[in-house]
Amino acid sequence: MPRIRYLVITALLLNTGLARADIAMVTNADNGIDQLSQSEALNIFMGRYRKLPNGALALPIDLAPLKARFYHSLVNKDLAEINSYWARLVFSGQGSPPQQADSAAEVINLVVHNPSALSYVDAARVTPEMHVVLVLPE
Amino acid sequence: MSNSAWVVGVRAMMSLRYLMVCLLALLPASAWAQTWLDSNRFTFSGFGTLGVVHNNSDKADFIRDLSQPKGAGEGWSARVDTLLGAQARLKLNDQLDITMQGISRYHYTGNFRPELSRAVMSYNPTPDWQLRAGRLGWDAYLLSDSRHVGYAYTWLRPPVDHFGILQLDYIEGVDATYRHPLGNGLAWAKLFVGRSKSHVVLTDDLSAGIDINHIYGGHLNYATGPWQFRASYAQGDSEMDLSFSYTGGADNLYALYLNHLIKKATDFSHIQLYSLGMVYDPGAWQLQAMLNRSETDNDLVIDSGFASAGYRVGPTTPYVMYSQVWIRYPELPAGQSFDQQTWSLGLRYDVASNLALKTQLDRVHVLGSGLLWRGTEADWDGGRITLVSLGLDFVF
Repeated sequence: MPRIRYLVITALLLNTGLARADIAMVTNADNGIDQLSQSEALNIFMGRYRKLPNGALALPIDLAPLKARFYHSLVNKDLAEINSYWARLVFSGQGSPPQQADSAAEVINLVVHNPSALSYVDAARVTPEMHVVLVLPE
Repeated sequence: MSNSAWVVGVRAMMSLRYLMVCLLALLPASAWAQTWLDSNRFTFSGFGTLGVVHNNSDKADFIRDLSQPKGAGEGWSARVDTLLGAQARLKLNDQLDITMQGISRYHYTGNFRPELSRAVMSYNPTPDWQLRAGRLGWDAYLLSDSRHVGYAYTWLRPPVDHFGILQLDYIEGVDATYRHPLGNGLAWAKLFVGRSKSHVVLTDDLSAGIDINHIYGGHLNYATGPWQFRASYAQGDSEMDLSFSYTGGADNLYALYLNHLIKKATDFSHIQLYSLGMVYDPGAWQLQAMLNRSETDNDLVIDSGFASAGYRVGPTTPYVMYSQVWIRYPELPAGQSFDQQTWSLGLRYDVASNLALKTQLDRVHVLGSGLLWRGTEADWDGGRITLVSLGLDFVF
């Protein structure tokens, strides 16, 4: 009986994992960064503290088609709230929002060519040249 | 109305109309542009508010802060809240950028004459340090450097009791910010040094140019999860250049007395500011509270504070706010005061991700004659005033 229960739980877990497309936060594979905590990711993307665990200045990149889902799972805010947040920082001259990529291909290109780039893609679309440092469940 | 006042009035209306035309021309573009999110080296962006306020009182005209010489009288007015700002930013490299920003709003000149509000060179040598020089936003309190950017906050306007009195728009100087992770959160400290020239209109008859030199100050911040806390201190040496042009009759003893009192109270040479602020923003709830104290070397003490709570449901955020200002001065006779309290109830509706529609109801209780009011009737000794406001805030 216990074995069957485990099987059922495993099946359920696998099922939810497949049904929901998580968001994978990715960096350049050669920058030595193993993983990132959610609060580090939040500090970088919200412009509070743009420091990577290896000490370098992080270059955050938003992926336009995935942006709404990303900020929803990172800080539980919708895009109007994110823009409102940035309006305060931009118009007080304190910083600027992440640069924006229009496609996953553009993200891959930026991540491959810049060791400080940090971005995100749909977890199902991670390619070998990217290194996943954090998975945000949706 | 005298001839010159009439000319000023016409000019104000012309510039208001000019501003409206500019705003309307920009609006269709704002629906798609969002150039402020650009990643290019050069970005052009802007913000603005189209706002109207209805005042139910024929005794006193409402102003947003002491920079405004005339207020919103009985009926509707677009004067106090409507504004337009624009920013050009040039990113020289990852460490260095230059920002210029201008704003057109109704202020001490009596019209919407644009003003250069920011001219900042920012240098970020490492992720921990930011150094800035130039004309910097007055960042002594939470929100004080973004209080004209309506899109950035939930309310229709920042609480007048708290932000309306003796606020600087900017200082000329330098600041340094240091950030460091602490526990589960992030701590940062900012220090600033500079000087400031500004203009305030204290009463209908009394205006002043204020030079504040040797401004030193800073704040400590801690953010963890949904919480953010700030404690600030600033001080400066002040020189006031008062100009008094009394237009009322000699029989209006109260107005003369009031002007005399305010003149004396604002004749200080040193001022110290203390502030505490906190924000709690876990998602749907948005709670904020702030407390300020200003003390001068002639024993003028201004205390102000506010607390607000909003709850976001989809694109709609209803909110409630309470604010108060208490002014103490030894020469104020017993029973006389410049205190006022405001309850506000409002709604922000996010039409698009760069456009918000707001409405707000304010019930202001003025205890004693108001410092924050214009065109007051000679027999007015305070009371309750109701304001209804509508606003459209946008960024582009």
